[in-house]
Amino acid sequence: MSWKDVCAADEVAENSLKPFNVDGISFLVANVGDGFRAYPPVCPHMEEYLEDSGLCAKGVLTCDRHLWQWDMKTGEPKGPAEKPLLMYPVKEEEGRVMVNLEKELEYDFDDEDD
Amino acid sequence: MSARNHEQWNAQPKLQSGEWVDSKIYSDEEIFEEELEKIWKQMWIPVCHESELKNAYDFRTMTIAREPVIVVRGKDMKVRAFLNVCPHRGNMIERRPSGSFAKSTPSGTPKTMTCMFHAWQFDMKGKCVNITRKEEGYQDRLCESDVGLRELKSEVYFGGFIWVSLNDNINQTVEEFAAGALDSLAPSVNEEPLEVFHYHKAIIDCNYKLWHDTNCEFYHDYLHYHNRITGFNDEYFARKNTGFKGGHVNVGSFEVQYENYEGFHSREELSFPHLPANQWYMIDMFPGVNFNLRGSALRSDIMTPLGPNKVMIEFRGLGLASDSPKDRKIRIDHHNSIWGPFGRNLCEDLIAVTGQGAAMQSGSESRQILHGRHENETIHDENGMRHYYEEWGRWVGRSPSHPDQPFVEPAETA
Repeated sequence: MSWKDVCAADEVAENSLKPFNVDGISFLVANVGDGFRAYPPVCPHMEEYLEDSGLCAKGVLTCDRHLWQWDMKTGEPKGPAEKPLLMYPVKEEEGRVMVNLEKELEYDFDDEDD
Repeated sequence: MSARNHEQWNAQPKLQSGEWVDSKIYSDEEIFEEELEKIWKQMWIPVCHESELKNAYDFRTMTIAREPVIVVRGKDMKVRAFLNVCPHRGNMIERRPSGSFAKSTPSGTPKTMTCMFHAWQFDMKGKCVNITRKEEGYQDRLCESDVGLRELKSEVYFGGFIWVSLNDNINQTVEEFAAGALDSLAPSVNEEPLEVFHYHKAIIDCNYKLWHDTNCEFYHDYLHYHNRITGFNDEYFARKNTGFKGGHVNVGSFEVQYENYEGFHSREELSFPHLPANQWYMIDMFPGVNFNLRGSALRSDIMTPLGPNKVMIEFRGLGLASDSPKDRKIRIDHHNSIWGPFGRNLCEDLIAVTGQGAAMQSGSESRQILHGRHENETIHDENGMRHYYEEWGRWVGRSPSHPDQPFVEPAETA
């Protein structure tokens, strides 16, 4: 299994996102209050980096470009969002956030070469 | 007779038809508008060089005849040109002169052109990929496939220059448009990739054709202090102006004796491929482009007419993309010492034509501008300009010497 020690639990403030890159895989760690989540770094709509465009409020993540929204705990889409967030398995052990990076998760974007 | 009164001043010159033009063609608002419609919106215009868009998602913006144009390099590395106008409310989409769409912009997401006004977005092929609140506003009445950008005809030709035409129905390739005028330099610029190492622009108060005129003759050697003090040789004066179909002119080469120029050195070591040592070719393309290769550096002047008495001239210097840093530095020095903003000749040329512009402002009285020198079609001849204005008359439909009368094809000379 590819569990990776990513950071200390207190490195990511509650209701916020923080970007990481481990072994060449970029992802975001979110602190959702009673635990952590890990998502690919970009918005599933148009590849915007959520590190810059993502706003966290009341358990909802909003991309400020076209206002797609997700439940931070489940990744389920809300509002105008049409796709869920993909999520890496995450666990917390002895005050460390561990993320399973066995396979890089990527969204399927419409290829412009059609 | 010495000085002349008004009537004498306005009398027809003792020259043949075609050997002078009316200054109105340099100053008249109506003629200027006709030129934009009948010439600039019809032709192939080089807008920049492909080395200015090296990577996928790089772009460059410009205008042709006031129309905003954007040139982008797609993920497939192909260069495409579009009208830089949003199909929604007609806003100019990209305002920066150059940059990259690879990363997100304040208004948009990566890999897209985004109109800052309502965040409509387009990919590098001009396809609309996002209409904000589409269903809410248009229901099923309008979708992305209805509102793509307007793609413009474009070609990469002659050492990597990007040519664009606003005329969808243009019935010739750039090669056909050039009609052989570029052939003398083609081997030198097409052998290996070129790269722009110098860019500056001048926005000056004169008609664009006055700049083109000064590129079409070397009689203004008398303007250039350094040309005079270093003297001319027979070979210099023997160079021919050769006209090509379409109003283009090629000024023949000769070997420049750089050792006669204080502080200058031979360009032999860094000659462009296939170019004999220290040779110098110059090509004037209709309606307002100039390519100038002096041994080690290629210069291009690309004109954008902004008004009857205002032109933007973009000056680029190009070398070989494979240059080592040391060679590039020498090449830049060769280029800038003559053609840079503080070079030996360029600033003097700019000063000269702004004097013409000052005397030919809109509303100034018509007067004759003489293009009547005959010197065996060599560089102090004015046949290059005569050739240009014949083509100009053909496109605008006005006689250059009597612009209120229609253009008449000159009689064939056997």
